[in-house]
Amino acid sequence: MNSQIFHPFVLPFVLGMAFVLTYCFVGLIRVISQLPKDDRKKLGRSLVTPKTAWANIRDLFGDCLFHVKIWKRNPVLGYMHTAIAFGWFMIIVIGHVMLFTLKPLQGVEVEGLQGMFTNFYYPIFFKYFAEETPVFAFLMDFFLLMIISGILIAVVKKIHSKIVGVKRVMHFGFADTLIRFALWTIFPFRLIAEKTNIMAFWWLYSIDLLIFMCMLPFTRYMHIPTEALFILLRHAGIKVTEPRKGYALAELYSCPSCGLCIDACPMSVNDKMSGNTSAYFMKKLRNNDTEESQRIAETCLMCGKCVKICPLSIESCDIKFSQRAAVPYNINSDHSYLNVISTEAEKSQTNNHKPHVLYFAGCMTQLTPKIMRAMKQIMDKAGEDYQIMDENGGICCGRPMLLSGKVAEAKAMIEKNTELIKKSGAKRLVLSCPICYKVFKDEYHLEGIEILHHTQYIEELIKCGKIYVDRGDTKYVYHDPCELGRAFEIYDEPRYVIHSLGQIVDAKSEKENSICCGGSLGSFNLTQQERDAITENSVNDLMFNNPDEIVTACPLCLKTFARKSPVKVKDIAEIVSEKL
Amino acid sequence: MKENILIIGGGAAGMEAATQLQKMGLTPIIIEKSEALGGHIAQWDRLFPAFHPAKDVVEKMLDQVKDVKTYLNTEVVDIQKDNDSFHAVLSNNEKIDAKAVVLATGFDIFKAERKQEYGYGIYNNVMTSVELEKFFRTGKDERINNPKKIGFVHCVGARDVKVCNTYCSKVCCTTALKQACEIKEVFPDAEVYTFYMDLRMFGPGYEDLYLKTQKDFDVKCVRGRVCEVSEDMDGKLVIKAEDTLFGKPLKMTLDVLVLMCAMEKNKSIDAIQQKLGVANNSDGFMQNSDMYLGMNNTAQDGVFVAGACTAPKSLPDTIGEARSVATQVYNYINR
Repeated sequence: MNSQIFHPFVLPFVLGMAFVLTYCFVGLIRVISQLPKDDRKKLGRSLVTPKTAWANIRDLFGDCLFHVKIWKRNPVLGYMHTAIAFGWFMIIVIGHVMLFTLKPLQGVEVEGLQGMFTNFYYPIFFKYFAEETPVFAFLMDFFLLMIISGILIAVVKKIHSKIVGVKRVMHFGFADTLIRFALWTIFPFRLIAEKTNIMAFWWLYSIDLLIFMCMLPFTRYMHIPTEALFILLRHAGIKVTEPRKGYALAELYSCPSCGLCIDACPMSVNDKMSGNTSAYFMKKLRNNDTEESQRIAETCLMCGKCVKICPLSIESCDIKFSQRAAVPYNINSDHSYLNVISTEAEKSQTNNHKPHVLYFAGCMTQLTPKIMRAMKQIMDKAGEDYQIMDENGGICCGRPMLLSGKVAEAKAMIEKNTELIKKSGAKRLVLSCPICYKVFKDEYHLEGIEILHHTQYIEELIKCGKIYVDRGDTKYVYHDPCELGRAFEIYDEPRYVIHSLGQIVDAKSEKENSICCGGSLGSFNLTQQERDAITENSVNDLMFNNPDEIVTACPLCLKTFARKSPVKVKDIAEIVSEKL
Repeated sequence: MKENILIIGGGAAGMEAATQLQKMGLTPIIIEKSEALGGHIAQWDRLFPAFHPAKDVVEKMLDQVKDVKTYLNTEVVDIQKDNDSFHAVLSNNEKIDAKAVVLATGFDIFKAERKQEYGYGIYNNVMTSVELEKFFRTGKDERINNPKKIGFVHCVGARDVKVCNTYCSKVCCTTALKQACEIKEVFPDAEVYTFYMDLRMFGPGYEDLYLKTQKDFDVKCVRGRVCEVSEDMDGKLVIKAEDTLFGKPLKMTLDVLVLMCAMEKNKSIDAIQQKLGVANNSDGFMQNSDMYLGMNNTAQDGVFVAGACTAPKSLPDTIGEARSVATQVYNYINR
């Protein structure tokens, strides 16, 4: 045992730790001060509200230490992350527990500042300065080996990612490569130092820590401290307002660049397009590469799959929206036509009859008249008291404008539509287009009016016996449209409807893993060839079990698939009307 | 020097090639999958730009091939090349040996249902240019009931990346104007509109037809595409379009809408084409070996192409190619 309480090799660690703590503290103040005032209040309240406080504790452990979401997706990667994060956490905790239970400093004259200083590095280099009891020694070795086992998986993943089930990984620059090497070697050095007590390894261990801490703020490993703050902000219900400020900044630094979203992204059908994935967007924006991050923000299809599968649930799409909104387009929008169209539309609201159901087809359904005709047949058959809101022309729901970040322009349309809907006196609003559905659900204030997508509406009509359908033996496969599935988790209603019409087979990727059709309004600058590649991949995925027909519930998906599908593509309303 | 030449397709290209090859002393054999020779042109009433009856041309061509050995209602089901001769098996189980093969398989009409926004197959009064031509020929179509307002949509299924056809179908512009004049002849009081992107009046007399359409027939040509079609309570068609010369959207109620459907590659020949080793070009038509000097040749020796199987073509283009393919085949046999 070394009876001394200080050795110069602790200095690199102390320096690094002091630096990283200062940096994080300043960063914390920065993020909090950039939050709008209301959001700060929300944060304060959420910390003392038992429900959110419990959610905070649950996710701080579940996400930061145990990486539950990664376990669910890929157990090998789950173990890798848990081994490193939880193992490291435990050796720090045990180090401190030893310091306070074994009291190795008792009787040594360390007081005041010097005492604090000693307590700072002591647990990190405990074995050099003091003796462990066998139980503690076992625990320390156990967690150290656990970390090293995690690192071994990381090395394998780096050399050949397919072994651990990852197709595409991020490509990193020099800084990230260097810090990764530091991280990989910290624990083996510590193990060797502890077992052999060779001075050089204690130095290497400490210097590795210095490199790691000093580079941490400038690399992806910044997610380790930021994640905790991000979880608190998320549970407080705070939303993104600006692309590089406040909550968005916390999200940017919380992204660990794990690259899970690369394989998930529909654009990853080829190498060139996989550079458009969220992991790269976050990295570019974090590095203040405005040009590239703007380009990726405008290329994204906004299908929301990366958000859904993100282990941290980082709302990268929201950041992209705010990035889009940040650019002035300098287009003067003239909304005088809104009044003309709405007067036209009002004509169809004849003689004060207040219908029970108001049907809004939307622009895309106007371009797929088969869906509209099928809906009319279904509603007639069910004897519903309905009116079509946009038969003689209608106003766009506003989503395309919102997708391009033009909030004020969208609001003008939303207001006019709200007025028309309220005037109709209807109790329910039925929509055929998930693009409309999303904006009606999220942005419209239609108190007292139930908003339904036609999949939900048709399911209800079948369930309560208002329409009867014949079951045939056609083999259908259902494509979950992004804005219906991932956005609102409407997975079961369409499947119930299809099941009552015929056989339903699975696609290779379903529900939240469903692949965007490639036609999304979300992207501004994908070329037709790039979109085609996405569509072909999505069609192949749907054709996995050789269905007779592809069924979807979105007019845009329908039109997109129809170009490339080897079998007929139909809307769910169409197949129902065929079997009435 | 009697050598068999297998001609697949009995339309304008196949018939004309057979005529020329026979005159050169070779033995053409025509395989036609339908019940009569003549192809698409036999379904046509009059031809642009001079309103010449199609029947005249078709009858002359039929007369020229009356001595040519012809199989109707027959398809080639298998074909193999062995040294320099081809062994074909027909759908009637007959076997034919030939020294060369001419693919004169022509085109298919774009299925208008694929542009759902135009409502073909959904709204009663939307019809295709082929159906209108049939009306001119027979005088019968229940959709045409003394219409007051008629619209023509150009480029349906052509120059449209959304249906994966980026090429120009070449003949539809002139056909639309011809049909617009003809419908005015039948219904002089009707208003006729055509919605075009460009009017490609590329041949002799075509531009004159365009002027005549406007001056003598008062057809209104609107530069802009129709974006959507719906049906009102009375079954009339409500179309939305854009007049790009005025920069204004427009909405109009029509009695009949005619879709100028593009030419697409005739896919029924795909299996045989593959066996012969002839690839497709980026438009999905057959790939010839050279755009200028090898337009009738393919990557495969002894396999020749003529007519609209390589790209959309007008009747004069097709006849020209049929005559040139005969020369190519003749030179190949006597090489």
